[in-house]
Amino acid sequence: MKKSYTRPRRGIDRRTVLKGAAAAAAVTTGITGFPAYLKAANTPIKIGVPTILSGRVAILGESSVAAIKNEIRKINEAGGIEGRTLEAVVRDSRGKPDEAARMTRDLVNNEGCDIILDAEASGASFAVNEVVRDMKQFCIHTNSETSSLTADPKNQVDWVFRSCRQGIHDAVGGGLVAAKVVKEKGLKKWATISPDYAYGRANTEEFMEYVKLFAPETEVITETWPKLFQPDYTENVTALLNAQPEVVYSCLWGGDLVAFFDQASLYGLFDQFTAFAVNLGDYPVLTAIKSRPAGVYSGSRYHKDIPDTAENEAWYESFMANSNVLPTNWSWQNAAAVNFVVEALKKTGGDTDSMKLAEATSGLTIDSPFGVDGTLTIREDDHTLVNYMVGYSKTIVDEPYVVDFDQTAWSEIYKHEAEWKKRNGYM
Amino acid sequence: MTLLIEFRRDLLIALAGLVLLVAIGLGIDHAWPRDFLTSIFAAGLLAMSLNMLIGYTGLVSFGHAAFFAMGGYIFGLLLQSPAFTGALGAGSVPVALGVAVVGTGLYAVVIGAICVRLTEIYFAFLTLAFQMFLYSVILSWVDLTGGDQGLMGGIPRPIFLGIDLADQYHRYVFCAVLFVACVMIMRIMTESPFGYTLRMIRDNATRAAFLGVNVFRVKLICFVVSSSIAAVGGVILALFTSGAYPEWAFWAQSGEAIFMIMLGGLNVFLGPILGAVALRILNDVVQMYTSHTEIVIGVVIMFVVLGLRRGILDFVKDWWVEKQQARLAAENRNGQE
Amino acid sequence: MFDFDALAACMSTSACLVNQATSGLIIGMLLFLVASGVTLIFGVLHVINFAHGSFYMIGAYFAYTTYHITGNYFLAALVGAVGAGICGILFERLIISRVYGQNLLMQLLVCYAFILIVDDLVKIIWGAEYLAMGIPAEFRLPPLRFAGGFVPPFYLFLVAVSVFIGIGSLLLVTKTRFGKIVRAAALNAPMVSALGIRVNVYFALLFGFGCALAGVAGALAAPVRSLTPGMGLGILVESFIVTVIGGMGSIPGAFLAAIILGLTRSIGSVGFPLFVDGAMFMIMALVLIFRPTGLLGQGAVR
Repeated sequence: MKKSYTRPRRGIDRRTVLKGAAAAAAVTTGITGFPAYLKAANTPIKIGVPTILSGRVAILGESSVAAIKNEIRKINEAGGIEGRTLEAVVRDSRGKPDEAARMTRDLVNNEGCDIILDAEASGASFAVNEVVRDMKQFCIHTNSETSSLTADPKNQVDWVFRSCRQGIHDAVGGGLVAAKVVKEKGLKKWATISPDYAYGRANTEEFMEYVKLFAPETEVITETWPKLFQPDYTENVTALLNAQPEVVYSCLWGGDLVAFFDQASLYGLFDQFTAFAVNLGDYPVLTAIKSRPAGVYSGSRYHKDIPDTAENEAWYESFMANSNVLPTNWSWQNAAAVNFVVEALKKTGGDTDSMKLAEATSGLTIDSPFGVDGTLTIREDDHTLVNYMVGYSKTIVDEPYVVDFDQTAWSEIYKHEAEWKKRNGYM
Repeated sequence: MTLLIEFRRDLLIALAGLVLLVAIGLGIDHAWPRDFLTSIFAAGLLAMSLNMLIGYTGLVSFGHAAFFAMGGYIFGLLLQSPAFTGALGAGSVPVALGVAVVGTGLYAVVIGAICVRLTEIYFAFLTLAFQMFLYSVILSWVDLTGGDQGLMGGIPRPIFLGIDLADQYHRYVFCAVLFVACVMIMRIMTESPFGYTLRMIRDNATRAAFLGVNVFRVKLICFVVSSSIAAVGGVILALFTSGAYPEWAFWAQSGEAIFMIMLGGLNVFLGPILGAVALRILNDVVQMYTSHTEIVIGVVIMFVVLGLRRGILDFVKDWWVEKQQARLAAENRNGQE
Repeated sequence: MFDFDALAACMSTSACLVNQATSGLIIGMLLFLVASGVTLIFGVLHVINFAHGSFYMIGAYFAYTTYHITGNYFLAALVGAVGAGICGILFERLIISRVYGQNLLMQLLVCYAFILIVDDLVKIIWGAEYLAMGIPAEFRLPPLRFAGGFVPPFYLFLVAVSVFIGIGSLLLVTKTRFGKIVRAAALNAPMVSALGIRVNVYFALLFGFGCALAGVAGALAAPVRSLTPGMGLGILVESFIVTVIGGMGSIPGAFLAAIILGLTRSIGSVGFPLFVDGAMFMIMALVLIFRPTGLLGQGAVR
């Protein structure tokens, strides 16, 4: 303990403090702002990344940053863009929206970032959305799955895009697979257990809506809503037991899902019901759960065999060789974002002007290991990603953990998405 | 009028401070100083208003950020309602600001009436409990508050009196004026007889009661005023981020504010602002070098609390006083010889 | 918001009653272990250990690593408890003892700093990802059936251990020489040290014991809850609620309050699922307003 006291002295050295006390606060701000001004000398193309690196979601943020850095490394080793290298400037917002907003401003104004990859989760991504709208700054959201971020016209911005899953796409895919399964097995009574916040509620509602659409005899007999980051799910597990449903749906994620699975297994829950968990298929989750039940249906997140191509396998190997965390759903989404940025930069000839980049990105299709037929597209009309892998697999106890990927055709998704947009007045 | 005369020195300083702030904001052709200072205005008001409770009255609140969040949410929700902006037109922003301050004040009357009777530890707990309650309400009431996503889609700001808050210069000057005005209100409150009553209660509540002070009422007034000022901080942050977020009502926000006070100095009026600036800079500088910000900030807190045992300005003040005394003592000695 | 039909339906079937009553007990007991540490430390040393959740986390991580290496869960739980206890003693000696008798603000801040430091250290040592220990082999059994309800054997073990430790710590404080010295020192430390007893050592041991209780709770939770940096926070807030409802300094009070809270959660999840947290805070606010000393606490608070 004692030894470490030497460090903070540098942090608040006395001269800075005294000056701050003597003059106004402003003097001090000038001092620290200064080095950053100088640093903005602008040889590399700077990509600002506000994300979450502390707290309970840190693993996802770290896997995002690892993916971004790995893609950038590949580009730079291949000679960069028009002779300029790429450089990521990462900031930890701790998931706080106002910090994310402030850091995004700092990244642009102070660090001289040309491009923002918003690797924040839902709450903070809306804050970043407002900031980049305000600053007219080119930005790609890489992690927020909330449908309304790009679907709702009031959130749409001409120079802002999204390179990740969208809740509604997964809901259609999940609904189709689930309907097929329950019809085969003759199951009708559903229960849901999802985290009690905007994502959990919207996701569950959308999923059940499509199950009901495809299997009209479906009936939801109980819903239980644990709090986000709730450590103990015993009361929710017993609530499920009491209701005795035939099928259970959950959009719990990360550590919460791990805890729920281990606790539910104690009660033998998965021996009694069929279960669907959209966020189960991520490597850190699958490897963390100790009592991994077989036969649980899991939404696609990231998996080296989905799609089962040499490109995807190669991407996985490269990621694993250069990262100390496992790849997650967030990893591929951020890698895809970097790929889009690179393609757009090639189109503009290395020009980082926000409006030119936006024009180049809108409707852009790139080759990608994560796409259905080797390509991904950012759709022109709502600036969101399409043609990625959507579907459900079934878990097995040992590696590769999930098998039997049931892929949803994008034609189906487009059809239902359009209807959904109409219903919500988004079109 | 007497107030003006009594506080004319402070008023002049405040005016000079405002001019300086505006000069910095408008004079430097870069958005960063404006952004930085605006976020300091918000955090500074939260910390300073909390210091009215902690430093001046001895009420250690661990739930002050609840009022901060409340201000931001009321302000944002009103302006997002088309009915409200439609009815009031150009008057929307000032009215929303007024309602945010008064509404938060009323909420503080209820919470304060329950809490201020309790002793230190229980007061801290109960304020914390009410804060966490508000936090969970904000998270759960998705239809109204947007849950964890906060108020989405931006906050509309109709132009009033020629002030367009969507323009970053206008916004900055507006926030600076609000900030300086609130600081001045706090200055007047703490340096008036009322402020000395607060100090008396802090030092010995029983004696104050014997002297005929209605301790409950005085504490409650202080609680309500400081909560309303925290609400202004919330409004500034809502303007700045064009939204409002549940994290503002989280306990960590209160914890940070308490640390700002401690870092800057408990017993010096402007201490909390220096604390806010220092913490922000510390945070930003550390971020440039490591992602382990928490450990560095934790160590700094330990150093300030266990090493300095007081805030930076307290330290400076004590050092100054000691030096003066040493000089006087030396003069006395010299005189005797 | 309230679903009284579901509640009535649940109350009328034995299966549901058993399930909800036992789950209330399970949730309550871990809370009780953590809260009894808080209450014990407060009762004697008059400091609030805001960093108590960190010791819960330390206990869980120590147990995780020990189990990983040895494969013996009972040893792991012991290491978790002792490890948290030793960290607690170090924390008391190096940090907390320097702010005894100072204002609440100082205590609060050092604890806040400690939480930040420990969370980051855990992240550095064990990584940011969530870890799960998994159910130890001894307890990988199908759930027992009682009157139609399910009770997992591991939870029976958990409840039994908690009750046993609870009674043990009550006896330790009220009946043993150690407890008597500590309580006497709490009332009049100079007098006790004048009798040739090293008060500081006793204070440190008591603090360490309180932290060890949190460590046990962490070790007991490790098999079923996921381990993440920052996991101590949630349980900290709830254990404070327990402490306040039960009465500061009262172990039986903490026990009673923990059960009340556990049952509120388990019954609430059937009857008023969206108001469970609200109900907990409401109970706490009501207790503080009408009986500020807590259900079983004593002493003036005004």
